[in-house]
Amino acid sequence: MTNDGANDLTRRGFLKFVGASLALAGLDGCTRMPAEKILPYVIEPPELTPGVPVHYATSMVLDGYATGLIVKAREGRPIKIEGNPGHPASLGATDAIHQASLLQLYDGDRATSLRSGRQRSSWAQLSAAFTPSSLRSRVGARGAGLYVVLEPTSSPLVISLLNRLRTLYPDMRVYYYAPLAGPNEATVARYDLAPADVILCVDADVLGTMPMHLHHARAFADRRRDPRHGMNRLYAIEPSLTVTGMSADERMRCRPSAVEPILAHLLSTLGGDRASGPAAAPPLPADVPTAWLAALASDLRAHAGRSVVIAGPHQTPVARALAASLNDVLGNAGHTAWHSASPLAEAGASGHSIADLADALRSGGVRALVCGGVNVAYAAPASLGLSSLLTRSPERLYLGMYEDETAERATWFVPQSHYLESWGDARAYDGTLSIVQPLVQPLYDSKSLVELLAMLGGQAAADPRMLLRQSWQEAGLAPTDEAWTSAVRTGFVAGSGFAPVATAPRSPIGPVTTAATSASPDSSTTATAPDRFEVVFAPDYRVHDGRFANIGWLQELPDPITKLTWGNAALVSPATAKLLGVSDGDGLALRHDSASLTIPALIVPGLADGTATIHFGYGRRGHEHAAIAAAGADAYTLWPAVGVPFMSNVSIERDESASRALATTHDHWSMEGRDQARIQTAAAYVASSSTQRPPRAPLPTLFQPEHPNGTSPHQWAMTIDLGTCIGCSACVVACQAENNIPVVGYEDVLKSREMHWLRIDRYATGPEENPAVVTQPMLCQHCEMAPCEYVCPVGATEHSSDGLNEMIYNRCVGTRFCSNNCPYKVRRFNWFDYNAELTEVERLVKNPDVTVRERGVMEKCTFCVQRIREAEIAAADAGTALHGGDVRTACQQACPTNAIVFGSLTEPETTMMQRRAEPRAYTVLEELGTRPRVTYLARIRNANPELDHA
Amino acid sequence: MAALFPRWSNTAARASLLALALLVVGVPLGLMAFVRSSNASARYEPVKQPIPFDHQIHAGRLGINCVYCHATVMRSPTAGIPPTQTCVPCHSTVWINSSELAPVRRSMQTGKPITWNRVDRLPDFVYFDHSVHVNKGVGCESCHGRVDKMSTVYQAKPLTMGWCLSCHRMPAGQLRPVEAVTIMGYTPAVAQARLGPELAAKYHVRSLTSCTTCHR
Repeated sequence: MTNDGANDLTRRGFLKFVGASLALAGLDGCTRMPAEKILPYVIEPPELTPGVPVHYATSMVLDGYATGLIVKAREGRPIKIEGNPGHPASLGATDAIHQASLLQLYDGDRATSLRSGRQRSSWAQLSAAFTPSSLRSRVGARGAGLYVVLEPTSSPLVISLLNRLRTLYPDMRVYYYAPLAGPNEATVARYDLAPADVILCVDADVLGTMPMHLHHARAFADRRRDPRHGMNRLYAIEPSLTVTGMSADERMRCRPSAVEPILAHLLSTLGGDRASGPAAAPPLPADVPTAWLAALASDLRAHAGRSVVIAGPHQTPVARALAASLNDVLGNAGHTAWHSASPLAEAGASGHSIADLADALRSGGVRALVCGGVNVAYAAPASLGLSSLLTRSPERLYLGMYEDETAERATWFVPQSHYLESWGDARAYDGTLSIVQPLVQPLYDSKSLVELLAMLGGQAAADPRMLLRQSWQEAGLAPTDEAWTSAVRTGFVAGSGFAPVATAPRSPIGPVTTAATSASPDSSTTATAPDRFEVVFAPDYRVHDGRFANIGWLQELPDPITKLTWGNAALVSPATAKLLGVSDGDGLALRHDSASLTIPALIVPGLADGTATIHFGYGRRGHEHAAIAAAGADAYTLWPAVGVPFMSNVSIERDESASRALATTHDHWSMEGRDQARIQTAAAYVASSSTQRPPRAPLPTLFQPEHPNGTSPHQWAMTIDLGTCIGCSACVVACQAENNIPVVGYEDVLKSREMHWLRIDRYATGPEENPAVVTQPMLCQHCEMAPCEYVCPVGATEHSSDGLNEMIYNRCVGTRFCSNNCPYKVRRFNWFDYNAELTEVERLVKNPDVTVRERGVMEKCTFCVQRIREAEIAAADAGTALHGGDVRTACQQACPTNAIVFGSLTEPETTMMQRRAEPRAYTVLEELGTRPRVTYLARIRNANPELDHA
Repeated sequence: MAALFPRWSNTAARASLLALALLVVGVPLGLMAFVRSSNASARYEPVKQPIPFDHQIHAGRLGINCVYCHATVMRSPTAGIPPTQTCVPCHSTVWINSSELAPVRRSMQTGKPITWNRVDRLPDFVYFDHSVHVNKGVGCESCHGRVDKMSTVYQAKPLTMGWCLSCHRMPAGQLRPVEAVTIMGYTPAVAQARLGPELAAKYHVRSLTSCTTCHR
């Protein structure tokens, strides 16, 4: 982010500067290269070779559940996060948030000093003030006035520390709160998509945000590798458009209030008149297509035992119970759907909710509130009034990474260590024990939650690693040193997942709420009833619940669905927008009782009419620069209560004051009659590919038939399967992290100056109300006949002997001819020196193997050439031959569905080459004769023939 | 009316035109020549170090192998500047109280590294990898010169792109058996014209001149 483009220079002043710069420019060359210093180690750590990266296993915990990661470090600083291939929640993949969490470690806005009130303080002073004897005098001998707020936790270490605290303060109260954590139940719903032929997701983002989504995405994609040999069929019923909905074969939009009636209807259709069924299924809303549901029901019935019905964890208990009953009726229970014990502490116990805390604060019983990493002053329904209630507690100790909304109200503030700086443990959603291992010493004077709880328990100086070791020993999790070492090395304990629990006979499902009447535009009464809208509250794909709002990589990551950056918007369907008379960026005022929210509108095809979708995490009011720079509205101000997925009877009206230019990177949904992202139904594809077709002949060309490619033993190429690309955007952030791609900021995104080397285009085909969406990762195509190369006047873009289209920054003079001549529009120009304003610490995130580009040069995807060269050199040093399939690009490595594969054209046995040979393989804009090295596989939609509207 | 300009001003005008033309051509040529000169790259200028470490004694007279101190050269992109601890085994018995070794003792006591000055400098956009060069039989001497004869080390070769390419285009001329890479003053046992291609075949050495070989 830079503003050196914006200033108020006069014309005369400008000419003066131009003249002076011209006159002095020549002198610039008269300096020698500055002297450089070399600082070797005093005693070299044995595990470290300068210049060679080291990898460690660790885990990232979100809303209580761990995902195993492998982090790469150079000379002691973490520079890249990858998934842990053995960990069941990762399987080697990551999502965008995992990738970007690295930037948070080096965030310049992180809190650096411990304070008491406004005064700088120290850990020693804090622990002196919170020794058990002195704290007891303030919170009562049994700790009745001590209240602790933590995120839901699955950490055996934290649980043991809490137990220790309870022996000191038996009456202490603990609350577990994260706004978007799932329901607080003793068991968790588990699914296996691998054996499922038919998957029904009812407002369940199983591929995007649900726990284990990386695992599910892999299982989903593995059943769609080659459509000629059968594939699963994904149905989605949802009010908003999600990553899962974009990948669905058949999708039905519905108003959020219709979810329960639809599920009840399905259950009664499928013979759910057992004891578990609801008392009476209410009538379906008029706008729900019953024929569609009938086709779905017959498909489910035909695949009984090999199907799965999933309701999102944020759905109402009734909706989730209905989905569970559907699985029972279909005989899926135990095969594709089951329950296992929740890994969370005190799961299912009542009295731990944040509303209970608000009541306690209001009643004045809270003497000391310890808040461990939960930004309750922001990330809670505004109706609870926590941000003002907090001050009812005389003492407020807050452990947080930033000087945020809660820090502002804290009497003691302790900077929190990043997970890459702390020791800890956690369980994955399936129960797998995972280790959180630090890669660096804390950069600042920060403490982890473990250290804070240990301090409260009277162990202020305890070494967290020893605490962890001890806790694992006592709990029998790692009885021997070997078991401990192996757990630390691999990052998790294999086979420690929880077994299925026998489902207890379900109590009858409560009454199903009747859907609100429709506010569709054709309804004659809508003009007089503007308050019949429904608002869907959704977790954000980028900032989640707001905690990642200061990570520039995530703020600038185009949302997988809307392609919106730097903020949120009220997503409305085209018909709803027409009804309201708004277009993109026009302000809306949403009102329900006393709560109101103003937010710009953004039109998204495929949304249910009469609804607006708002993502959490924006409208931050703390002191973090990027979080504030992101223009957005705070969904918590409208959110009625924790765990509520939607809100009915909302009035929506135009409000010009909330209008704002929306920084979207792809405001277009149409392919304009071309077919760059191909999509076909399975039936049509199988029919066409079973007939013998001649192999595609090369296009006629005037060029020499022998291109100077081919002198190297490897010829690099990539294949991207649009059929399994779910558009999650993990690859975009992975590319950004690997290749030192700068963040440009809201203003520059508005001017289309975003720098992503890899973008994900998404197109909608079919009817605007409910289109089929296809997502297409678009990166440098490494054309064999690259149009950019012909027009560069200085030879700054060349072709390598192994088939790469190379960009040489130090030669580039910035004419931008190449970008003009690129038909794929994948070249990016550095309009400013986006790295100039980075602090010393922020620079540590840069990958030392990739040049940090200057202002005025062009850049683009290099196929991660640094990884190719590193692999080539490693093979040469070892005296072995390099296998092309061993080189993995950053996007490929992050991809949860293995949609991206990389390799060499010279090795026909690789997956990359096999996919290239499929009949659905094609290259984008083939008719231009650029001969791209990136091949796409058309998306195959496994449409239900009964519903085939294509 | 007398002529406003004397006759010689014609010559002066012609001469100044010629001078201008020469200037237009000469200045860039001169600058181009300058950046290629040893003066611009500070070649041959000994670089003063915090410790007057003498390569002539250590590598030359005592015959300590390069890899003893530059230990990572075979397995890392960087050859490695030795950590302070490398000095200690010998210098805890030899020259124990020398004032010149005071920085070494101080470094060991305080744990603060010795700040060396870089001698051979490549621009930041060049990614040179020591390990692959050494493992393919390029001698230390080929790029660093006769370090065993340098009391204070200086940059011995131009380290310009043209100079790198001269070998990258025809690598066979600079290859030696991997066992001999650290030998200073190496002479091939048989004619290089015969040995070079043999070694190139043995070590699978290819001519790599793609830009991304070095620039990423």
